[in-house]
This record gives sequence, C-alpha cells and structure tokens, in this order.
Amino acid sequence: MSQTGPFEVAVERCDVLIAGSGAAGMRAAIAAHDAGARVVMLAKGPRRANHTRMSGGRYNVVTGLNPPDSNDAFFRDTLESGADINNHELTRILVDEALARAYDLEEYGLAWDRTGERQYYMSMTGGGTFVRTIGSVDEGIGITEVMLHQMHKRGIRICDFHMLADVMRDERGSVAGGLVMDLAKGVWRYFCSPTVVIATGGTSQLYATSSGPAINTGDGIAIALRAGAELVDIEFMQFIPISFVYPPSARGYTLTEPAHYGMRHFDPNAEAAHLLNNRGERFVLKHDPVRKEGSTRDVLARAIMLEILEGRGTPEGGVLMIPDPQVFESFLRERPIYVKRLLENYGEGQARLQAPIQVMPSALYTLGGVRVDGWCRTGVPGLLAAGEAAGGVHGANRLGGSSMPDIQVFGRRAGIAAAEDAKVQRPSEAAGLAQARARAEALSRPLGRADGIRPSELKRAVQKLMWDHVGLVRNGEKLQETLRAFADLRRDALPRMKVTDRSRVLNREWMESIELENMLDLAEAMAAASLERRETRGAFYRTDYPETDPEWTANLRVRLDSGKLAVHRQPIVRLAGPASPSLKEAAAG
Amino acid sequence: MSSALPLPRNTTRQADVALQGEIARMLHRFTGTVIVIFVLVHVIAQAVLHAPALAALKAQASWLPVVQSQHWVHAVLYFSIVFHTLYGFKLLLTEIGFALDYRKALWSIVSVSSAFALRELLRYAGV
Amino acid sequence: MSEMQNVTVTAEIRRYDPGQDAAPRYERFQVTGPENMRVLDVVRSIYESQAPDLAYQFACRIGRCGTCAMRVNGRPVLACQERCKPEMRIEPLTPFPVLRDLVVDRSEIEGRLEQLALAPVRDAAHPGAPEPIGAELAAKLCRMDSCLLCMVCVSACPAVDQRAFDGPAFMLKLRHLAEHPADRGNRLGQALEHGMLECFNCDVCTQVCPADLSPAQAIRDFRKDLFLGGGRS
Repeated sequence: MSQTGPFEVAVERCDVLIAGSGAAGMRAAIAAHDAGARVVMLAKGPRRANHTRMSGGRYNVVTGLNPPDSNDAFFRDTLESGADINNHELTRILVDEALARAYDLEEYGLAWDRTGERQYYMSMTGGGTFVRTIGSVDEGIGITEVMLHQMHKRGIRICDFHMLADVMRDERGSVAGGLVMDLAKGVWRYFCSPTVVIATGGTSQLYATSSGPAINTGDGIAIALRAGAELVDIEFMQFIPISFVYPPSARGYTLTEPAHYGMRHFDPNAEAAHLLNNRGERFVLKHDPVRKEGSTRDVLARAIMLEILEGRGTPEGGVLMIPDPQVFESFLRERPIYVKRLLENYGEGQARLQAPIQVMPSALYTLGGVRVDGWCRTGVPGLLAAGEAAGGVHGANRLGGSSMPDIQVFGRRAGIAAAEDAKVQRPSEAAGLAQARARAEALSRPLGRADGIRPSELKRAVQKLMWDHVGLVRNGEKLQETLRAFADLRRDALPRMKVTDRSRVLNREWMESIELENMLDLAEAMAAASLERRETRGAFYRTDYPETDPEWTANLRVRLDSGKLAVHRQPIVRLAGPASPSLKEAAAG
Repeated sequence: MSSALPLPRNTTRQADVALQGEIARMLHRFTGTVIVIFVLVHVIAQAVLHAPALAALKAQASWLPVVQSQHWVHAVLYFSIVFHTLYGFKLLLTEIGFALDYRKALWSIVSVSSAFALRELLRYAGV
Repeated sequence: MSEMQNVTVTAEIRRYDPGQDAAPRYERFQVTGPENMRVLDVVRSIYESQAPDLAYQFACRIGRCGTCAMRVNGRPVLACQERCKPEMRIEPLTPFPVLRDLVVDRSEIEGRLEQLALAPVRDAAHPGAPEPIGAELAAKLCRMDSCLLCMVCVSACPAVDQRAFDGPAFMLKLRHLAEHPADRGNRLGQALEHGMLECFNCDVCTQVCPADLSPAQAIRDFRKDLFLGGGRS
C-alpha cells in the first residue's frame, strides 16, 4: 500500500463503458449490446441503488387514449413548463419516441396500470394541459427490476461498487477509457474503451435537503466537464415543492405535487390540495392565482420556500398541505407505497388524507447537465451522456412524469450511438493508462495523510452553501460570496482532505473524498452560471432580477478553458430540419 | 366509508414483535412430539394394565393409573391433539387455495386448543 | 404531530474486515437524536461523528432500494425503515458473506437471479398497442413486482436455514412471471428445482417483508397449481 512508484491499476477492455445503473444507463446498455457492442455497466453501489428506483415511475406519453391530446400538445406543454429555453430538437425527440419506449417497458414485463384490458389508467401532472400520465403501482421499483432482467437475459456485465473516477482521452482528444475505483475491493481499474456513456444521474446531493439517493453527487457531469465537454443550463435545479419533513432519514423525500392530493389529479379544472402557512393562508394564490396549487413545480417550490424564509412556516420548517379525503381511495389504489410512507412517517390521519401533511421543498432534479445532441453525443468524440446527467430536454422546469420517458428515449439513443462510435475508434491501452495511473495516485493521497479535514465535514460545508445561496432563492451578492467560498475550499480544504481509515475495502470516507472534487467542480459551475443569468425564469429565481427577461431566452454553456470556468450565452436550439443524419437508424423505435 | 379501507402495514417496528411463524412451528413441533410420545407410552401402559402376561409388572406399577388420570397430562394431550390437527388442516387448506390470514388462523387455533385443555383441567378438578 | 423529543440510544455494531481482522468484534456507541429516527440515522450518525471507518450500505433511505438490509437485535430489517430502539445490536444480514462490517456480498444473489431468467419468455412480439391485460391482473402483477429483492425474507426464512431452499424472494419473482400472461416459461418447474417444496408454509416471510408482500402466498399458489393441476390464472 505504498504511495510511491507506478500506481497499480488493473486493465480491462470493452467497447462501451456505461457509468450509472439507473434506467438511462440500463437502456443504453441494452441498446448497445443489441447493436453488437461489448458493454460494461458500472454501478457506484449495489445496482439497485439509483434515482430511478426511488422514482414514482410516472410516465408522460401521448398514447392516443385521450383523443384531444397530441405529441404537439405534449411538446408545447414541455416548452411552456421549460420557459422556452428547452432544446427543441431534444424535446421533440422525447415526445415522439415516448410511446415506443413505453411499449418496450411493457414488453420487458412492466404492466402499466389499467382501467380496462387495453385502456391505460391516466392522470394529470402539474402544468400539463391534458391527462396523459401513465404509471404502475410498483413505480420505479418495477421499472428497474424489469430492466435488470433484460440485462441478465443478455448477459451484460454489471459491476457493482464500481465508481467512475475520470475519463481519459488520447492525444487527439477522443475518449480512450475510464478510470474506475472498485470500492468493494479497494483497487483501481482502467477500462480501455472507445466510448463512455455518462448516465450517473444528477446533483441532488449537493444540497442539504434532497430527494435523491446518497450516491448522486454529480460525478459524471463533473467528469464530463473535466474531459472537455460543455454543460448547459447548469444553473437550473428543480426543487420538488413538497417532501417529507421528518424523520431524518426520510427528510427531503418527494411527496410529488399538491395536484396529486386533490381532484386536480384527474381533472385540469379541479382543485389541487391547498397549501397553508402558519397563519392558515393559501399563500400560493399570490404567486399563481390561475392554476393555484395545481401550478408547476418551480412556482410552488419558490412560493413555499419564501414562506418558510419569511418566518411563516411551521416550527419544524415546513408548511401544511391539506389533502382532499375524496381522492384517498384512488390514491391508495394508484400509490400504495406512498400511503405506506405517510402512515409510517406521519400517521394514520395523514395516510388517509384526512389530516394536514407537513411538507417542505427539497432538491430533486438537475435540469441542466452535459450538453448533448439528438444522439446523446457531447462535443468530445466518444463521450456521451443521457438521463438526468444530460441537459436541455426540460429547459427551466421539468414536468412531473417527463423524466421516465427521457431516460428510456435518450438511454436507448446513447446506447445506439455509442455502439456505432465504438466501431470506428480503437484506442490502444497505452493511450490513457499513464494518465489513469497519475490520476489514481492523486486520488489516493488522502489515504496517506496523517492530519487534515474529514471529507464529510467538507461535504456538509458545500451542501450548506448550495442550499442557502445556490438553491431556490439566489442573488448576485450571495453568489459572488459563495464562489469565493468555493474557491477557498478548493485551495485550502480540498488538498487537506484526510481519510481516517487505511483499509481500502468499502472505505466510505475515501469514496467521499473522490466525490468532493466532483461536487466542488459542479458547485462552482452552478454558481458561476447563476451569476451570469440576470433574470428569473422557471426554477431559477434571483431576488435582484425577479422578472423574466426576453433577452435571456437563451442557454448558458459552461466549459473548462485551461482549467478555468468559462460561461457563454448561446441562443436556444430551435428545430431546423430532420434529426441528425449521422446515423442511418430511424428516429422512431 | 373510506376509513374502512385497510391501510398498508406499518413495518417500522419489525424487530419489536415475535415472529408468529416461529411460534406456530415450535408449537406444531412440540405438539407433534407430545402425540408421538403419547402413542408409544399409551400402548405400553395399556399393555401393562390389561395384558395377562404382564400382570406381574402391573402389580409393581400401582402409580400408573394415578399418572393416567393427572389433569395436566390430559390438558397437554388434548391441547396437542387439537392444535396439531387444526394447524395441519390450516397448512393443507391454504395450499389447496383457501385464503387464511396467518395471524388469525394461529391464534384461533391456539384458542380452540386451549379451550379443550381447559375443559380437561375443569373435568379433573371435579367441575 | 411530530415526535421531536430527543432520545439517547445505544448501538452495538459488529465490526469485521476479513482482510485485516482475525475475528469479528462488537463496538458500542451512543447516539442522541429525535425519537422517530431510524436505525440508518443512528448508523450514519456513528459514521459521521464516531467511527469514520464504519462500512455500511444505503442509498434511497426510504425503503425502496432494499440495499440497507441488516440484522437489528437478531431480526432482519431495512435499516432506513426500522425505528431505533434504546438498545440495538446491529449486525450484517445473514446468511451472506460479509465484505466488511455491515456490507454483504450479493454476487450469489445476482447470480441466482440471472439463472432464473426472469425476463418474460414471449412467443409473440409486443403488439405495438396496449397489451391486453385485465386491470386487476395488471395491478396484481405490479404489486408482486414491487419486491425489493432486499433479502430480508431469505434471511428470516427457517427453511433456507435448514433445507435446500433458495428462499422466498426467488419464489415470489417466479410467481410474478407465472401469472404474467405473456410469459411462456415453466416457472413452476423452476420453483420446484429451487426448493419450493421445502417451504414450511409458516409465513415468517410475510411478516418480515418491508414491502407488504407475501412470498409464502406465491408458494401456496404454486403448490395449488402443482396439487390441483391448475394452469395460468
């Protein structure tokens, strides 16, 4: 275990290296395998530990079962929710391919909820104009299970406890492979591969209160940034308006939307559950008098956060949601898992939707991410991204229920594109190995330090700064202060991180130390882009620029220029002609 | 109306309660053992008491009829026969398609078996 | 409504690093926190403030990923769901090999799942329209497929301990496919092969399941098919 000399790294080869075990990663693996590639999928922990698993599994799709609805309407709803800064090409692909992917899941064994033999059960989502959301009672659990069995059927290699630490590029700037930490054995591995698919999910763990799994520290997005890819819309973070306030383990876990707890779940003209502050006032009416509590997540989350910050919240730091007991029977049938959680965390009255439910906003979904084209390719040859890690599909605010089709549609496209790219490139082992060894050595330094700062301490500091200043309520002065604080942490604290335990096996502190550089990279990118955008739009709210500015109907792109963050404004990508001609595969599934 | 709908279980105190299935199995095993031992002992005891060839043994075993009329022996025996039979039926019935709640089934069988045991106790106590 | 009283609890955690330690040992810790905190909150607190080298696994913290399963006072539970107790003995989930402290090796489990081939065996491609499945059946299928594969039932099952039986969870997964109208696999045959007849029909699995499922019922349904020669429902 000496720190001197060439670093021990076990070398392997594959065609497509996928980081991330959620549905985007799995769908990419399935598609790449079916296209003939040798695939390896990396899961940072056990393979079922991912954000898809935790999801309610609501799936927005135009099935044809609600005749007034159309793909165009879905497209318009997505753009409206996204405050017009979505990437039109990506959004169009999403709405057009969602149905074929829903049928794929059914083929895999997922039985969508039904009201009749061939009639899917559908409901509304906050901000949508037509009833079009399908789902299944086993939610994200069912989706991940049926996909895992498809992986097993194809014999695709899944590596649990394997964390992608960095991507190596050759002298031409193309992907040569990925450096991976095998956390279970405590050894480094280098996967020599012409393509790497980033499907590592979002950045929810950058915030003190979040809804995602503990592993979502944005690793893949930061790795892509360091590898030369561009990030887009990274200043946009979606906060779910309502989540559990207690117990500590459940704090921040999404309770979906107030629309779900009222008749608005079925009827766009009906009421959602009311939200009350500690004076019993329906404060949302100030913010959206038309849609009221049936509004989009951004409006609701901001409204609740402001109420809490201005001292009109409950003693525990939340507000009260008054559900409609009428919907209990259908809620129980549709979301039994949620009723169970309400019972276990709050009580029987809340579980039966008869008592007020205490709620608070929490960081849920990374709206921005790695910038990709219609086939999930980044600007770096061989580097692709899909799912929550990629940006542009949802714009400034995501519709509830649109993440499930996103990960299926773009997961598949990433897999197809990666398999295609892998045929063209053939990196030599030597190409990235030296870099991999150097990086492995650098990332192993905290193990050797006698004294220093614990990674969890540093993590908490970052999470607090993000929650307070790069969260629901932002302003220029605080953002600048926060950027300075991040710079200080990077200069003073990061190099002094110390891992107490010398054993490398399942060393959580070591894993956290590797995460921290990724977290800081992203925290800085998010704060820098936030400082640049001088307006309020969708989920992005600045108290010093509280109005939406049409001049800002644009996307901010972030990349690293010689190690420094560079933020550029670009006009939005509107639909020009047919989808990317670089692949012969038809866009429709 | 909607309060009549059963909620999902609250499974946050799983380590605080006994495992019903383990109790059921232990009881089934215990009562089964009692029955087997009883049959062996009973055959031998009756042989000693009634077979002419064993008259000499009978003379020495004057304590035997006393043991045979002990109230607790009857209570344990009847509990065991009733429990083992009823629980055995429960196992069979559930495997051919009858839906029975495992908790209700166990505790009603224990109650019925205890009722038989209690009857024996009362009978031998002269009630 | 909220239980914001603080309590101090004692946790005795089994520590063992197979690569470093000669034998397992138990370490005692005390944690103060809200009354309604879960075992996972206790373990995380210990890692954060007292034992930075503690190895434990969790992800979703709300009872969905099933990866935090461990034994508390001898009972297999999900750490994120189980409420803390004044005295807790916290150990890794049996009967799986321990990687370190509270983390177990799931490779055999995943190998068995792969062997069971739980992707529906179809004889016709998907119709490209909603597949005809009755509404009640669709709900039932999805309820069965909400099994977390947390292995709490397998850990608690007395038949797994004493007989050649893979475990309740695997039977439940097989039953899910047996009832799926599109699956043509011989799931009863697979269940028999993997020890279905060894089940004691004791419902311990039903009681311990954190997802409110009944693997024992799945086994009973298989047995009914076997004894009474029933087909697909």
